[in-house]
Amino acid sequence: MTALLAAQLHERRRSVLSWGLPIGLWSGFVVAIYPSVEDALQKAIASYPEALKEAFGIAELNSVEQYLSAEMLSLIVPLAIGYLAVRSVASGLSGAAESGRLDVLLSAPVSRSRLVAASFGATAAEIACVLLASLLITALSSLLVGAGLSFGLALAGFANVWPLALLSAGLGIVVTGWSLRTAIVTGSVAGVLVAMYVADLVGRLDTSLDWIRYGSVFRYYGHAIEDGIDPVAFIGVTATAVAIAAFGAALFERRDLTQ
Amino acid sequence: MPAIETEGLTKLYGAERGIEDVTLMVEPGEVFGFLGPNGAGKTTTIRTLLDLLHPTRGAARIFGLDSRRESVAIRRRLGNLPGDFGYGKHASGREALALLARLRGIDDLARGEELARRFRADLDRPLGRLSRGNRQKVGLILAVFHRPDLLILDEPTSGLDPLMQEEFLALTREERERGCAVFISSHELDEVERVCDRVGIIRGGRLIAVERVEDLLGKTLDRRRVKVEFAQPVDLDDVRAMPGVAAAEFAHPTLEEVFLTYYEEGSG
Repeated sequence: MTALLAAQLHERRRSVLSWGLPIGLWSGFVVAIYPSVEDALQKAIASYPEALKEAFGIAELNSVEQYLSAEMLSLIVPLAIGYLAVRSVASGLSGAAESGRLDVLLSAPVSRSRLVAASFGATAAEIACVLLASLLITALSSLLVGAGLSFGLALAGFANVWPLALLSAGLGIVVTGWSLRTAIVTGSVAGVLVAMYVADLVGRLDTSLDWIRYGSVFRYYGHAIEDGIDPVAFIGVTATAVAIAAFGAALFERRDLTQ
Repeated sequence: MPAIETEGLTKLYGAERGIEDVTLMVEPGEVFGFLGPNGAGKTTTIRTLLDLLHPTRGAARIFGLDSRRESVAIRRRLGNLPGDFGYGKHASGREALALLARLRGIDDLARGEELARRFRADLDRPLGRLSRGNRQKVGLILAVFHRPDLLILDEPTSGLDPLMQEEFLALTREERERGCAVFISSHELDEVERVCDRVGIIRGGRLIAVERVEDLLGKTLDRRRVKVEFAQPVDLDDVRAMPGVAAAEFAHPTLEEVFLTYYEEGSG
């Protein structure tokens, strides 16, 4: 298990730079420009309809943390990292099946469940590293321009993306139980993530449809950079992701691995 | 205890046939050739033995272990070269070898290095940058380096040049002498004839014959055709003039024989 985990992490080492650097630079840019756009933002926000502000979580934008949340952590970062998570977990399973590597690995005394666990574990570690890199670049940017970003709040904001990404990876494993085509796995889970975001948005805009938010992970995602991490939501989503991954592993164990 | 034993092994893909009622046995120290054209069911049989496909009916036992329930234990004693070997583009053969060694609890890669020298395989270049034949050599090394008790090889010489094909046949004989059972799926009839003890012929998903190679060849022996080698060059007309001879012609060497002659001279 540790050998598989280490091998998968070794293969994914570049994603810390290829994903962490752009997300960090973009977030850093958002933080860096906040002092110069703060006044204009206040005026613009005041003119927005209340329902719209509520829907997008921008009731107020009077701090750099709220601005970072609205610009990056509400939509772009969770969707991008969610996509990275499913892409990564799929690379260790359906991607390995497409390249022929799965046949070679399953010639060794390794169970399919262990392969799935290694892929899920490597994805969890990879996502944590990407989020950490993004956070550090953002914090450095704030330091350089004196934007006054609270490191503790920013840490909560970025860390809160992790359970959502794990859920995306777990869903990816479930889809792998049906299809060994990476495009189908990543495409379908990315679609589910977008659908969940839209369901959460619609539920917020129309309170009579609030019930549909219960099926969306974004309902439990919240705004950790402003309110701190909700431990119940954090642990609940993480546990759900692990349970979904375990269900996916059972499906993967039962399926035929066709060439 | 047989290395491989299948009974009524059947794999159906929905309404489509894969293999049906395949019953065979391979003993330790035996080289078994599994013959058939593309699509006959060779790879389906192998993938079912390896628990990559789950049988619709029937059962397979390897060293007495159930291929379905005890597949992890089976794979400790098994080496496998998949058909059309691949391992991704970026990893090198050495990285793949190191990972498989760790998964098998092997620290010493000396045997893998020795095989790499023997097959002139490049373990350091990313596999995606190797030719098909050179990738196949790495696949062979990964299948054999841990000295398995059973080798399952799907089209093992595919892409190998004639020299390496010879080396592969020599390695197969060595593995047999060590007591390893070798199950070779192939449609290269020449190499099967040269190395296999028995062959099974699969057609349309059904095993239609299992025989010793010499018995199979003996059945079709044409007792009118004789290959004779004279000590000195002869005149064909003299041969044709012999009593009972209907026709005679010089035997041309195959291109492969000529090719090997050049390399044997070069190495000497």
